[in-house]
This record gives sequence, structure tokens and C-alpha cells, in this order.
Amino acid sequence: MTGRRFYIHELIGRLVHDQAGQHVGRIFDVRAEERDGEMQIVEYYLGTAAALQRVGLSLLRVVGVHRLEPKTVPWDKLDLTDPARPVLID
Amino acid sequence: MKKGLQLFLGILTAIGGFFDIGNLVTAAQAGATFRFQLLWALALGTIIVIFLVEMSGRFAAVTKKSIPTGVREHFGVRVWIAPFAILVLLHFLTLAAELGGIAFALQLVTGISFQIWVLPVGVLVWLFLWRATFDAIEYSTATLGLIALCFVVAAFMYHPPRSDVLSGLLPSLPKQDGAKYWLYAVSIIGALIAPYMFYFYSSGAVEDEWDKSYLMVNRIVSITGMSFGAVITAAVIIMTGLVLHPLDIGVDSINQAAFVLTGAFPFWGFLLFAASMGIACTGAAAEVGLSLAYSTAQTFGWNWGESLEPKKDARFALTYTVAIVLAMLLMMLGIDPLKLTIYTMALNAMVLPIVSIPFLMLMNDGRLMREFTNGIFTNAATAIIVLISFVLFVVSIPLVIMGSG
Amino acid sequence: MHLFRELLDKQIEDRDDERMGRVDAIGVELRPGAPPRVVDIELGGVSIAARLHPRLEALAMRLHKKLGVRRSARYHIPWEKILDVNDDRVKVDVCADDTPAMDWEKWLRRHVIGKIPGASTEEEE
Repeated sequence: MTGRRFYIHELIGRLVHDQAGQHVGRIFDVRAEERDGEMQIVEYYLGTAAALQRVGLSLLRVVGVHRLEPKTVPWDKLDLTDPARPVLID
Repeated sequence: MKKGLQLFLGILTAIGGFFDIGNLVTAAQAGATFRFQLLWALALGTIIVIFLVEMSGRFAAVTKKSIPTGVREHFGVRVWIAPFAILVLLHFLTLAAELGGIAFALQLVTGISFQIWVLPVGVLVWLFLWRATFDAIEYSTATLGLIALCFVVAAFMYHPPRSDVLSGLLPSLPKQDGAKYWLYAVSIIGALIAPYMFYFYSSGAVEDEWDKSYLMVNRIVSITGMSFGAVITAAVIIMTGLVLHPLDIGVDSINQAAFVLTGAFPFWGFLLFAASMGIACTGAAAEVGLSLAYSTAQTFGWNWGESLEPKKDARFALTYTVAIVLAMLLMMLGIDPLKLTIYTMALNAMVLPIVSIPFLMLMNDGRLMREFTNGIFTNAATAIIVLISFVLFVVSIPLVIMGSG
Repeated sequence: MHLFRELLDKQIEDRDDERMGRVDAIGVELRPGAPPRVVDIELGGVSIAARLHPRLEALAMRLHKKLGVRRSARYHIPWEKILDVNDDRVKVDVCADDTPAMDWEKWLRRHVIGKIPGASTEEEE
């Protein structure tokens, strides 16, 4: 393995900032696809609400509010140099 | 044909299988102290448990998953771990209370202390789990558990004043002993909604490979089974209300409760009481032990199944073995089974929100449940259940801290 | 595939449908100039502990070393070994009994459960 290793769960619930330091949202899921014989990360889903947006959404659905569109960020638009502080690249 | 049999056995299981030390003790205490005044708590708890059991059966039939599996897969281990830890603790305390109940029944008959009886009793329950298959356990405890119907027969023989019974179904404020009244109300509800009931039920449904064609069976079993089961508990409240309440002694030990049947069955009453208690608690102890092992194995993805030989699922078998040994030790220390039961049942009610909310969310997830998500009616009822459990949670903390007053 | 919703915490089954644990962690490799790729899935008590709290992870690791039953604390199944992922399970091309995932199970069979009479109707191999 040449690159740096990290875990998917380290990203879940992480707050993403943009380059100006503004909050963009929290990562609540990561989509991957099989490409060139590998499982590659394609995009990240950011929620604008709470850390565990999926939990929150299920709760909202109980009272009849349906899914808000998540914000998707392609893999190359998220700087994970520090997985604890992902930065959105414009 | 198979469905008809399933339906019959299912109802039987729900009636006979879910009457246990918790129901017996909380009902006896309530009846002896407050006569019929707490019947409303029983009615309320029964409605809650019907909804919970129906949902857990439907979840298993649609997703083929048990509740721990569903919650961990959906919300992740970080969300599931706290409810799971609480669940383990509650199962353990309930198991100890059930073992205490069997041992106490034997003490009633033999005069030998329950602390001594708990050793052979624990070994017996363990042996039952070690050797029997799931179906054998489910159906034998269910069928034998029907002996507790003698409480219902006796309650009728005492001719309780009908209007008094009915007025007990409406909530009313106590004239005295406020703290005790609410503690008992919370414990009655907690005994009915003991988490092992719906966790065991959902694991059983997965183990029996239920599919969508079982949804009707599930609905009928949960409604009729739980209602009839509650009638047994109601009978205990009514009998203790009639026999013990006028004596103004309360129930400080199960010894006193044991005499409630002698009015109806002069010679056999005492033995019948001990037998009902012993059998009901044996069945419940087996179910609690299994439910604990199921939940643990499902949480960690181990192999599980009561119909496997212990050697094929060593970690599963070890889980209930360790739990039974620890529960035996706890009872041998001489903890009062009555107090342990009341507090454990109150704790059940207290943690209901934590244990049930993730599950209730799953029931509304269309990706998992497809067209079988909760309807508006069930969701409204669910919202009320969550609200009630939250109120219980808030109310019961000071009660448990203050003690039974 | 949504990694959190559809892969993490799923039941893992080996090539003979034997349940062997859950996806306790998903390892990803970060590469310059190329999309990150899923390297492996992990299972083990230490992997679970790590997700809960760093202190728990340290504690689980100490326990693991002290008891010395399991060959490795975190068992990695490389992505290439994954045969299929569906709603119910992740099927992997290994034999569960040969992996560290079953070390505890086998140890308990041999030293505890197997020693109790009636654990198996078959004769000891």
C-alpha cells in the first residue's frame, strides 16, 4: 500500500469546512463504485443539519417530514490531508 | 395447516410464556396495597406491549432481521452500543429475579431457603438451554405456563365487584403513599414491557423463518396473546386486592401472596400458587437467557441458534452460561427477590425510550420496511408510547432513588 | 455502494455461509491524484472499541495481548476477497475456521464448552 490508510468511520459525522473556514455540513455517508478492479470512493454526502443526519431524518419521517436532498461532493473536491478536518475545495 | 398451528402455538406462547416473576410481584404488590386502583397501569402497559410485540414481529417477517441486527446495521455500532449495554444489564437482573422466583416457589413448598434452592434451579435452567431446541423450549414453557390460568379461575370464583374492577381501569390519584403508588404503576408497566419479551419474540420469528405471509399471524398473536396474558396479571391484582388489601398487610414477602388461592382452592391453593410461580419463572428464565445470548450474538455477528449444538456456537452457549452463573451468585448473596424484581421492572420502564427509539425509527424506514412501514395509526400510537415512556423515565428516577417509601 | 449504510456493520459470511462476525471497520487508502480506494474490511473487538473511544481501544488491545488467544487483534479481509454484498450479508472468499475471526470460538470449543458433557452429539475428533 502506497498511500495513507484511514477508516471510513473516521469520516462519518465529521464537520466539513470550506477554504474560507465556513461550515459546509457533516459527512453522513460515502459512495464507492467498482472501477478498474478496485472499489473507489466516488463522492461524499454532506448533511446540513445534525451530525447523525440519518438518525435525524428517520425521526423526521416518523412525524411525516421526508428526506431533504443531501449535498454531494465529488471525491476530488474534498481535501482529506487531515481526516479529522476535511476541507471543501472550490 | 402450518400457519394454523403456528397461530395456535403463538397465542399459547404469548399467554403462557410471558407471565413471569415481574408480572406476579408487581401485580401482587399493587393489589395488596392499592386494591384495584392500579388496574389502569396494567391496561396501559398491555397496549404498549401489543404495539411493541407486533412491530418486532413485523420487522422480523419483512426484513428477516432481529432488532439488534437491524439497529446496528442501520445506525452503526456507536448508536447501538449504549442500548445494548443497558439491555445486557436488564436481561441479567431479570434472569436473577426469575431464578429467585423459582427458588422462592420451592422455598414455599419445602421450607428450605431460596438461597440454597437457587443452585439446583440455576443448573436446571442451564441444562434446559444446553440440551433443548428452540421449539422445545418455546412450546413447553408456553404449554406449562398455562397453569397460571388457575389465577384467572380463582379470581372469578371470588366474585369481584364488577364496578370496582372497572373503575380501577381509569387512572386515579392515590389517597396516600404517593411515591409507592407511582413506583408500583411504573413497575407494572415495566414488567409488561420487559425488553426480553419483544427481543425474544423477534429472534424467534427470525429463527422460525417468518416471511410476509406471517404478518396476519403476527398481528393476531400479539393482540390476543398479550391481552389474554394480561388477564392473568389482572387476576393477580384482583385476588390480592380482595384477599390481602382488607388485611392491610401489603405484600412484604411472597409468602403472603401465596395464600390468595386458598380461598378458591382450599387444599390445593398453596401448592398451585407455588407451581404456577415456579413454572412461569422457569419458562421466563429460559427465555431471558436465550434472548440475552441472541442479542449478544447478533450484535457481534457470531453464529447463533438455539437449535445448534452448543459446540457449534460456543460463544452463544457461553453467553447464557456465564449469565446464569452470575445470576445464581447474585441470588446466593441473599438479595431480596421481591425488591430486586420491583426495581428491575421499574428500570425496564425507565430505559424503554433508549431501548425502543432506534427500533421505532427503523419501523418507519421505507428502504428496510418497504410498504410495511408503520401506518399513521401505529405511528400516532408509537408517538404516544414514546411520550409515555419518556414521562415514566422522568417520573421513575426519583421514585427509584427514594425507594419504595 | 454507500459504504456507511450498506457495508459498515453488516454481517460477514464465509464461502460456506458460516457467520463469522460483522464489518467492524472499513480501511481506505488515500492516494495522491487518484480517488481513495477501499482496501479491506476489518473485524475484531479492538476494531469495535476503536470506533467507540480511543481509551477503550487501548484497553481492548491490552486485553488482547494479555489473553493471547487471537492471532491478530484486527483481522483484515482484503477487498479482493469479497464475493458479494447484499442487504443481508457480505460474502467473503475465506474459510471462517481458518481465520483469526474464529480463534475465540475455537478456543472456547476446545477449552470450555467442549469440556462440558453434552456439548456435542458427535464424538471428539
